[in-house]
Amino acid sequence: MATVTEKTRAEQTHPDVRSHGEVNADIMRMLSPPGTWWWVLFGLSIAGIGLLAFSWGNQLVRGIGLSGLNTPVGWGAYITTFVFWVGIAHSGTLISAILFLFRARWRQSIYRAAEAMTVFAVMTAGLFPLIHLGRAWHAYWLFPYPNERMLWPNFRSPLVWDVFAVTTYFTVSSLFFLMGLIPDIAAARDSAEKGTLRQKFYSLASVGWRGTDRQWHHFGKAYLYMAALATPLVLSVHSVVSWDFAMGIVPGWHATIFAPYFVAGAIFSGVAMVITILVPIRKVFGLQKYLTTRHFDAMAKLCLVTGIIVFYAYLNEFFMAWYSGEDPERRVFWNRLWGHYWWATWIMLICNGLIPVLLWFKRVRHSIAALFTISIFINIGMWFERFVIIVTSLSHEFMPFAWGVYRPTITEMGIVIGTFGWFFFWLLLFIRLLPPVAISELKEVLPPPMRPKQKTEASR
Amino acid sequence: MSADRGVSASGAREGVLASFEYLDAAVDAIKRLRGEGFEEITAFSGYPEHHIEEALGYRASPVRLFTLIGGLTGAATGLAFTVFTSMDWPLVTGGKPILSIPAYVIPMFELTILFGAFATVFGVFYNIRLPSLKGDVVYDPKYSSEGYGVYVTAPANRITSARSILEEHGPASLQDDPQGDSHG
Amino acid sequence: MSEGIKRRDFLKVLGVSGAGAGLVGCSTDQVEKLIPYVTPPEEITPGVATWYSTVCGECPAACGVWVRTREGRAVKVEGNPHHPVSGGALCARGHASLQGLYNPDRLEGPVRRGEDGEFQPIAWDEAEALLSQHVQDAGSDFVFVTRKEGPALAGLIESVVESVGGSRVEYEALSEAPLREATRMAFGQDAVPTFRFEEADLIFSFGADFLETWLSPVEHARGFARSTGIDEAHEKARFVFLSPRLSLTGQNADEWVPLTAGSEGVVALAIAHALVQRGADGGPYSDLIEAYDAQAAANEAGIPAETIEELADAFQAASAPLAVGPGVAGQGANATATNLAVLILNAVAGSVGSTLHVTRSDLAAPATPYRELADVISRMAEGQVPAMVLHNVNPAYSLPPESGFRQALGQVGFSVAITPHLDETAALCDLVLPDAHTLESWGDSNPRPELWALRQPVMQPVPHFDSRSAGDVLVRLAGRLGEDLGAETFHDYLRNRWSDLHAELGSPGGSFDAFWREALRVGVVEVDAAPAQATAMQTPDRALTFDAPELEGDGMALVVYPSSRFGDGRGANKPWLQELPDPVTKLAWHSWVEIHPETAEELGVRRGDMVRVASPHGELEVPVYTYPGIRADTVAIAMGEGHENYGRYANGNGVNPMVLLPATVEEPSGTLAHLSVRVNLEPTGRRYSMASIEGSDQQYDRPIAPAVQLEELREGNIEEAGGYPTRQELQAIGGFVPITTEAEPQDFPLEGARYGDYEDSGSTPRWAMAIDLDKCTGCSACVTACQSENNVAFVGKDQLAMGRALQWIRLERYYEQIDSSQPGPVDIRFLPMLCQHCGNAPCEPVCPVYAAYHTPDGLNAQVYNRCVGTRYCANNCPYKVRVFNWYRFSEVPEPLNWQYNPDVTVRTEGIMEKCSFCVQRIRKSENQATLEGRTIGSNEVVPACQQSCPAEAIVFGNIRDPESRVYQVSNNDRTYRVLDVLINTQPAINYLRKVTFHPVESIHV
Repeated sequence: MATVTEKTRAEQTHPDVRSHGEVNADIMRMLSPPGTWWWVLFGLSIAGIGLLAFSWGNQLVRGIGLSGLNTPVGWGAYITTFVFWVGIAHSGTLISAILFLFRARWRQSIYRAAEAMTVFAVMTAGLFPLIHLGRAWHAYWLFPYPNERMLWPNFRSPLVWDVFAVTTYFTVSSLFFLMGLIPDIAAARDSAEKGTLRQKFYSLASVGWRGTDRQWHHFGKAYLYMAALATPLVLSVHSVVSWDFAMGIVPGWHATIFAPYFVAGAIFSGVAMVITILVPIRKVFGLQKYLTTRHFDAMAKLCLVTGIIVFYAYLNEFFMAWYSGEDPERRVFWNRLWGHYWWATWIMLICNGLIPVLLWFKRVRHSIAALFTISIFINIGMWFERFVIIVTSLSHEFMPFAWGVYRPTITEMGIVIGTFGWFFFWLLLFIRLLPPVAISELKEVLPPPMRPKQKTEASR
Repeated sequence: MSADRGVSASGAREGVLASFEYLDAAVDAIKRLRGEGFEEITAFSGYPEHHIEEALGYRASPVRLFTLIGGLTGAATGLAFTVFTSMDWPLVTGGKPILSIPAYVIPMFELTILFGAFATVFGVFYNIRLPSLKGDVVYDPKYSSEGYGVYVTAPANRITSARSILEEHGPASLQDDPQGDSHG
Repeated sequence: MSEGIKRRDFLKVLGVSGAGAGLVGCSTDQVEKLIPYVTPPEEITPGVATWYSTVCGECPAACGVWVRTREGRAVKVEGNPHHPVSGGALCARGHASLQGLYNPDRLEGPVRRGEDGEFQPIAWDEAEALLSQHVQDAGSDFVFVTRKEGPALAGLIESVVESVGGSRVEYEALSEAPLREATRMAFGQDAVPTFRFEEADLIFSFGADFLETWLSPVEHARGFARSTGIDEAHEKARFVFLSPRLSLTGQNADEWVPLTAGSEGVVALAIAHALVQRGADGGPYSDLIEAYDAQAAANEAGIPAETIEELADAFQAASAPLAVGPGVAGQGANATATNLAVLILNAVAGSVGSTLHVTRSDLAAPATPYRELADVISRMAEGQVPAMVLHNVNPAYSLPPESGFRQALGQVGFSVAITPHLDETAALCDLVLPDAHTLESWGDSNPRPELWALRQPVMQPVPHFDSRSAGDVLVRLAGRLGEDLGAETFHDYLRNRWSDLHAELGSPGGSFDAFWREALRVGVVEVDAAPAQATAMQTPDRALTFDAPELEGDGMALVVYPSSRFGDGRGANKPWLQELPDPVTKLAWHSWVEIHPETAEELGVRRGDMVRVASPHGELEVPVYTYPGIRADTVAIAMGEGHENYGRYANGNGVNPMVLLPATVEEPSGTLAHLSVRVNLEPTGRRYSMASIEGSDQQYDRPIAPAVQLEELREGNIEEAGGYPTRQELQAIGGFVPITTEAEPQDFPLEGARYGDYEDSGSTPRWAMAIDLDKCTGCSACVTACQSENNVAFVGKDQLAMGRALQWIRLERYYEQIDSSQPGPVDIRFLPMLCQHCGNAPCEPVCPVYAAYHTPDGLNAQVYNRCVGTRYCANNCPYKVRVFNWYRFSEVPEPLNWQYNPDVTVRTEGIMEKCSFCVQRIRKSENQATLEGRTIGSNEVVPACQQSCPAEAIVFGNIRDPESRVYQVSNNDRTYRVLDVLINTQPAINYLRKVTFHPVESIHV
């Protein structure tokens, strides 16, 4: 295709991509055998899994007492990290589903990675409800099946809602993810050299996709319906997670704002995590022409918006606590700011409220390095947000005589850190085995190759 | 799809597969072919190209029915499930009513989504006849990378005219298929 | 028996087949302890409890108790309702006697010190021969040291000692000798008076901890609660506490006069002086009283003179005033004088004969004061004691090191300890004979002239320990010494004595056997022995100084007070008592020094800082507990901790304050002076992780423990905190249509929930409880009673410090008014917090697996084996009464686990537990009722806490029945429900708010 003028450049998402073939070539290059840096990271994540296995195993054998939890603080680092990962999981489906419905043209090149991140984040989050149980070996009692005396779970319990929501979310986002992968796996199949193991794997995984008109037709429609289903799901899942708290009467939990507050927070943290992950991938694989500043700018704006909502929620919480006139409510929030956990609260406020303000500036939004740093801060801040909500509220409830303090232990830290290894283990496998950028969808937003001569109406 | 389906049933069919570098060429070719009454056309592309779909004159996909039915089933299941279990062994918790309907809305909702999603996935695979691993479909691996393919089959007597139509639109390559009975 | 063997093998097989099921009780290693029931003992029916009445041996008060045994094991101790002392109630120490019985640190057999200085096992006969040999040789130099024992054992010891012409010393670390001496001087009776708190309408305590350790705590607590608790006529006795430190007893006071340590006597005399000025008769002490005018006393006590005048006015106005004290903590160099002063005050006010009775009583039997032991020690030191026996006494621990007991013991030719388990003293002896626990042995008690009780073994001796009761050992010893007691065993000896008693009493109840059986069955014999009462005061036969003693050293006055949990320290190896938070400081498992917050500020220390406490006689390091209830110029340390050799649960916990004290003998009573030194505190810069259950001592204006002023109550204007506005709840039609509720316990279940088993709520009972906070003294007996009844595990110091205490009852303590700078009202609210069994229980709907749900009879049930341990219920419980098994705390060393109540599940790790309203007792009564073909009575079920409460503050029953006591008690202006108005939990526990004499701030809701 001819060199593009500055004018056309502006309206194109990937001005530097010359041809469709180039896309395949570039993306497939990512599936080539990994280099040393990959092995290093992979080794690290394996070590993380080892740490997780050791700490959790130890806790299973010796008892949940290895955590720092106590009365009154029955939930701590585990549930905090659970909510953290569930939150991370939200950007993926948001970008792939909601932005799909909104026809946001910048989603194509990032949504695959985001979706993968979603699936792996849910897989990580899913560990924590098991880890935090006093009797993890009975976790399956939460699933909707009757025990030998025909006793079913209690569907009034937010925790059962949670089981439904998270498992549904995991299933649906996985289906969505795998379905979208099929055409690209087919592409990988076609480009892989015959007879290799990879080729066999891809031709198996592509379930015989040929990219015929009929396939594209139904596939496209199905994709639309999946997006339509996934959209309310995304919004519901973190609402349900927020109700794990909001349904309780604990001062600091029992608030109607929680659902939107948590959803916004989830997207906030999720997009931040996407940035955190995409920046190095972009650099390492030289995907600059697919992940342009334009994409990061859009993600930064998303962060900014959700960040503002989250910060509004913080202020709203404090205001309502004061406005309620109830001492238990007021004292919890006073204690958040100036009490035993003041440092956690201030980390949260600074990371999620103050630092994202920088994103107002275009220069910041266009500086990959700055974005990367900010996204890291947001990740930290969002972990502490959950910590603050859970721990400070529980430590200062209705009965002053029963107030208490909770300190995380080595075991808890080991498990929390270990789960990052678990998460990146899957992520690293993914970017080496499956096309991390959606080839076919990317081509949708590229100008199709036209006959050099006169333009027909087809090009419009 | 059309009248000469009857003929095709009797006489042996042949096929032609043309690869185009340019989208408009492929689209024009398809339009011409359909104009000439060739209906057994399969177009290949590496991405969903709505121009081609228009050219082939697609209408709504039956997949949406799968989605709808799946979703409704999920909702019904969710309601029946929660209500049945709480009536089966009534236990009071927190002084709440035995039937705490508002609480049951969440399982209902989740099941709606879950069943709907499964039905959709089943629907699409059912409609595109996948998974199928038989490699006898006429296909060129490069389509998933770039270019477009137009494959047309017709009774042996009409295949030449189809080929000529394709040639007019300057295909990158042209390839004959002796037994034209394979369609993706 | 052979059948037994068969069963045993069968169980072994069972154990093997069920191998891996380690949680299950019947693994092969425990099989031997199972009782084969092929031919059951006739008095034992499997699954049915057998009760034995006996006498508690934990303190000299000698409460009559019933011991519940199951399959031949004692599992629970409860007060004997027929016994006037216990009156059916019991203190924490009494409950914990079971952990003395099953203590894993009890001696497994007699041991003798070998050449290498280590203890070697020795056969009983050999040991006894050795003992008699040395006693024989020692002859008149033989010394037998014992604690206060029942008449029979005391008599036996006496006769054994006499048979060789030796001497006997009776040593109690907590001695009431000064009181007895004072009584002797004032009334010519060598006796300890009886105090009738129940009849008093004004009580002055000059530091006597009569609710904790002083004389007979349980009896006093009952009387105190009856008089100070408000009654239907809205009458209520007033209680003034005069002491430098508020003990638990003091925390129950309406007014606190924080006088300087030791000045109690002069203040008492000054009040008497004021009374005389108001026309009272000073009797033979008029001149003495004259000498003490209000101003002088006030200066000495550091309080305004008006206070003394006011106190005098009140004392004069009162119809039945009573003054008591000082306690052991207040025993300074002028202890006898102070006691005398208080007696004089009573006499001047005319209390003698009404609230104070001077009657000869066994409590006054010669508990030889420390002076005599001191003489023995000096003889020992000079090597003049070739042989001595120390029976159940631990002077090596409970005496100040300066007494030189330890060194002296080394000079004793042959020292023998008779004690159930090793202690600091026994560890230094040459021969240690394992005594049977009081629950395993025979004995008797005579706490009052008209009151006799028998102690009987409630079970076979615990087989882990080859013990013999001191009585049996002594009977045999007497035999070996050639004295004929006409008895083979102590049991026979006891019977002989009692048959004499029976004869003395004029053979009540016909034959002696019938009398004996009845005595054993009922557990108490009351005889109408109305002894001559002396009420007229006599002129003092010796001069005394009443002025506050000069304390040795400089710095702050040191108050060493007996622990309400360990007494003089003998309870320290019982995990229940270690785990029981101290009623005052709420600390467990270690010691502390109580300092006034201002003093702490001057020293620059915070709560939990380690300080070095130094007196002229010794020093120790202990963490600081800032306590507003102590004078700024005084610090206090509790006795009982700091053991070195008393077993795994006692060793190394805290400090023993006796090291700070000199071995000063108080004259004339000859007791050890506790109040005698000043100490200096110096920060060490180290912190100590205190094991406390206390989060905050403030209520922050929440509807938790409101109070009402007496006047307000009488006028009937009582503010609405805890009132019951009707409420709207979305209940009907699946939770969409609102209905109105009164939100009272009997309303459960509300409309929408009436289905299935919950259909006809009218016919099922609604179990509920009422707790009268005006009676509760915060003594915490209920906590241990519950722990004993419900197999509640103990967790140890570190876990408790982490906030993982398991007790089902948390006795909360909130400070409303407490000021040590001047006399004034003190208002401290106690709140026993247990599961409220809410009608709208927040804990239930959040449980994903129905482990928490509501039973049709209104119990908030916790299904242990369904619980998966999400802990959401605990998070959502506004009362924080749910406790979690973080580890498998229920695994305790043999044979402590023998105490477990077979009616209650032993909880494993990872599950939630909480108060069940003693559901096992409810079900038992229900089954009983069903068997008898009747419906269960509304007052039939008595949970452990109510059963144990000495203050009678707790009532339980079916609140649906207007005839039930719980309904009638709850039907009261003072009734409220904690937090209910705030969060509509609709608890089943009605609290009756405390009544004060001073105005209280109403709780905003």
